[in-house]
Amino acid sequence: MTDFTWKIGGEAGFGIMTTGLAFSKIATRLGYQIFDYIEYPSLIRGGHNAYEVHVSDKNVSHLSPVTDVLVCLNKETYTKHQSSLTNKSYVIYDEQEFTVDGDYIKINIPFKKILTDLKGQMIMKNTIALGASLSILGAEIDELIKILEEQFSRKGEAIVNFNKNFASSGYDHIKNNYSNKILKFLTKRESTKSLVMTGNEAFSLGSVIADSRFYCAYPMTPSSTVLTTMASWAEKVGMVVRHAEDEIAAINTSIGASFAGVRASVGTSGGGFALMVESLSFAGITEIPIVVFIAQRPGPATGMPTWTEQGDLLFAVHAGHGEFQKIVLSASDIEEMIEITGEAYNLAEIYQMPVIVMSDMYLSEGHKSISKKFTDDFAKNYKVNNGKLVDKISNRKSQIFNRYLLTEDGVSPRLIPGIQGYFYQANSYEHLEDGHTTEEASPRLDQVDKRARKWATYLKTDFKQPKVYGDLDKAETVFISWGSNKGAIIEAQRQLNNKTKTAFINFTHLYPLNKDIILSFFKGKKRYILVENNSWGQFGKLLLQETGIEIKEKILRYDGRTITPEYIIKNFKF
Amino acid sequence: MSTIQDFTGYSPTWCPGCGDHGIGIAIKQALVQMNLTPSDLAVVFGIGCSGNMNDFLNAYAIHSLHGRALPNAIGIKLANHRLPVITVVGDGDCYGEGGNHFIHACRGNHDIKVLVHDNGVYGLTTGQSAPTAKQGYKSKSTPSGIIETSINPLALAISSGATFVAQSFAGDPAHMIQTIKAAMNHKGFALVNVLQPCVTFNKINTYQYYLQRVYKLDEGYKKDDFESAIIKSLEVNEEKFPIGIIYQAQKLSYHDHLPQIKSESLVAKNRFIEFDKIIKDFI
Repeated sequence: MTDFTWKIGGEAGFGIMTTGLAFSKIATRLGYQIFDYIEYPSLIRGGHNAYEVHVSDKNVSHLSPVTDVLVCLNKETYTKHQSSLTNKSYVIYDEQEFTVDGDYIKINIPFKKILTDLKGQMIMKNTIALGASLSILGAEIDELIKILEEQFSRKGEAIVNFNKNFASSGYDHIKNNYSNKILKFLTKRESTKSLVMTGNEAFSLGSVIADSRFYCAYPMTPSSTVLTTMASWAEKVGMVVRHAEDEIAAINTSIGASFAGVRASVGTSGGGFALMVESLSFAGITEIPIVVFIAQRPGPATGMPTWTEQGDLLFAVHAGHGEFQKIVLSASDIEEMIEITGEAYNLAEIYQMPVIVMSDMYLSEGHKSISKKFTDDFAKNYKVNNGKLVDKISNRKSQIFNRYLLTEDGVSPRLIPGIQGYFYQANSYEHLEDGHTTEEASPRLDQVDKRARKWATYLKTDFKQPKVYGDLDKAETVFISWGSNKGAIIEAQRQLNNKTKTAFINFTHLYPLNKDIILSFFKGKKRYILVENNSWGQFGKLLLQETGIEIKEKILRYDGRTITPEYIIKNFKF
Repeated sequence: MSTIQDFTGYSPTWCPGCGDHGIGIAIKQALVQMNLTPSDLAVVFGIGCSGNMNDFLNAYAIHSLHGRALPNAIGIKLANHRLPVITVVGDGDCYGEGGNHFIHACRGNHDIKVLVHDNGVYGLTTGQSAPTAKQGYKSKSTPSGIIETSINPLALAISSGATFVAQSFAGDPAHMIQTIKAAMNHKGFALVNVLQPCVTFNKINTYQYYLQRVYKLDEGYKKDDFESAIIKSLEVNEEKFPIGIIYQAQKLSYHDHLPQIKSESLVAKNRFIEFDKIIKDFI
């Protein structure tokens, strides 16, 4: 059985992220499942970066408190992460640079000497470290060589070979000096093909599968890799990606594109979303579909840009002036992010309203391995549902198109601009059925009520009830949560298994909530515990507001770090 | 053949004598002369007296938020670059609330036509001073006179990368029609700053004021010379108002740089389904 955590640390700006991702990909290609996370400060050089990868032969979706192999590219890595080591942990470091005093399995790699001998640059320490890591974990070097070839082949064979030397020197150093310490954690095993993906990449991929053709954003951590990922794909997949002057422009550009008939989205974090809010209301009254991706980070204001929190849920739910309809969804892991994203574009178009997809830094930037078949099947089975979009009209007798026609389900036909014989306006003022401005009482009531019916239709037709993990009937303790806490909660349930029977209700459709459906999940006298990565218990407040259910017991975390299984168990009062 | 009637929506609610009446008629006339129909174009209206044209002009349209018309227009253009896209905005709307969008729309040479009703005041909110008001202008919001230097829309647009920068006058319909048509025919970002008297709130920049200070550019004026265009655009400092095309340059529009929409517009393309081409990056 394989279940271990490998962690590498070093100075920011020296390739830790690339190295960590290479390790995750190699472990996945060797047939294992991974879940990784990066810790980094909000600066480019000089701070400390650490990348940890939890590897298992089973599905894995949480971090482990114990580091089994710690690769220290500098002394700080050792001092900062020493607390996660046990006497069975391996510490890979260079004796020439600093000493390791604790009771661990010490592996000396002469990084400095190898670099001098082979005339390498500082950054190649990473390649030596990867070679040594694979060696000590019992893996072949082949996959690392392949990765180096993929990475450097554009620069010519000489560069590829130059880099290979560093990989081999690290690899061979272990074989020659520590052959008795070699583990069998990463021997190649048979498994189905897997992908290594972050939440941001999952949103990007989900968007392409959902036929979203337009993305507009202004960079903001931790959402920026959605912009860079989509930009790198744009020509290949035929979409248009605009890096706008600010978030106000970003959402308005996407609203314009959506009006013109293409699926469009924006992505940002809390501060950027604050700037978009004015236009969320605009999309609400004009009934122009828009998908808004929010990767949360700890606020308020600039807060802690590279850390994680679920502090923007109530802001997202209540965002916008005036009363208008929106849907707020969240994903709890990578697979779910692909699914929820696909769903978000359909709901935005079916109900012609803003749909917000909530993520957080932990989900947005951490990688997880998922089966390729899952993605392939999702892509194959995904159906684009344009709702009441009209792209052809045969009867051209009348030029009047009632864009805001009063209907029973609240949804009016939406015409793609440019269709001959017609025209209409999408009006930010209150309007008549034909789109013209009105200040009369009666059409105002009609339109407010029409828009409200869209929510009623959604709650009846497309609202998804929460998923339950564990047996809700038999459970003594029930955890309630949403978003990226899922993996940690499920692991905590497993660890608590012999002490108390637990179940876990996880929400993905967060707002609006269908009261009747949700009440049916809260039957019987049980101990309910709200688990959230914020200090207010924001989903708890929302649940109380929408359903009257109040969860008094809470496990909350708001130090910028994610909820872990250990954190839940430590705060669980037996 | 389209007619003025095709473009005519509700009756205007502008004050009698307002320069917007003339601008509204000139826009319709230009569209008719170009043989367009209301189904052939998209118009984004800002918020203000100018934006209220939304109900008087028939077209595929968005009546946007104050200041946000330009990014909406850019989005429409990128999604369907076959559609001519016009924005009808005011000076407070475009140079104040939407100032950042204006600069960046110029920079990008986005192929949108920006028709600004420049009257120096916020008419719809009853006459506070706007960014183009002359320094010292007294209004309800600046009772001792506006302290800031006024925005120079022409110089700002030229220096920001706009490829068509023109000025016209609401008291000269023929000139407006001609200038709007030239802007429509230009490939790339086009600004038409229309000097427009607000008869209700602006007692300084009246028809009389402009009639004495507006002049047409010479036939020999070189509109493709960047430096002389900048100099020309600074004449407003001496209360001289050249009308005509101050600057025009030939440059690719933003959307011309996008190979993915070279043969077909974004909205007309077939759905991309070769997902393996991107999924392979994750193996």
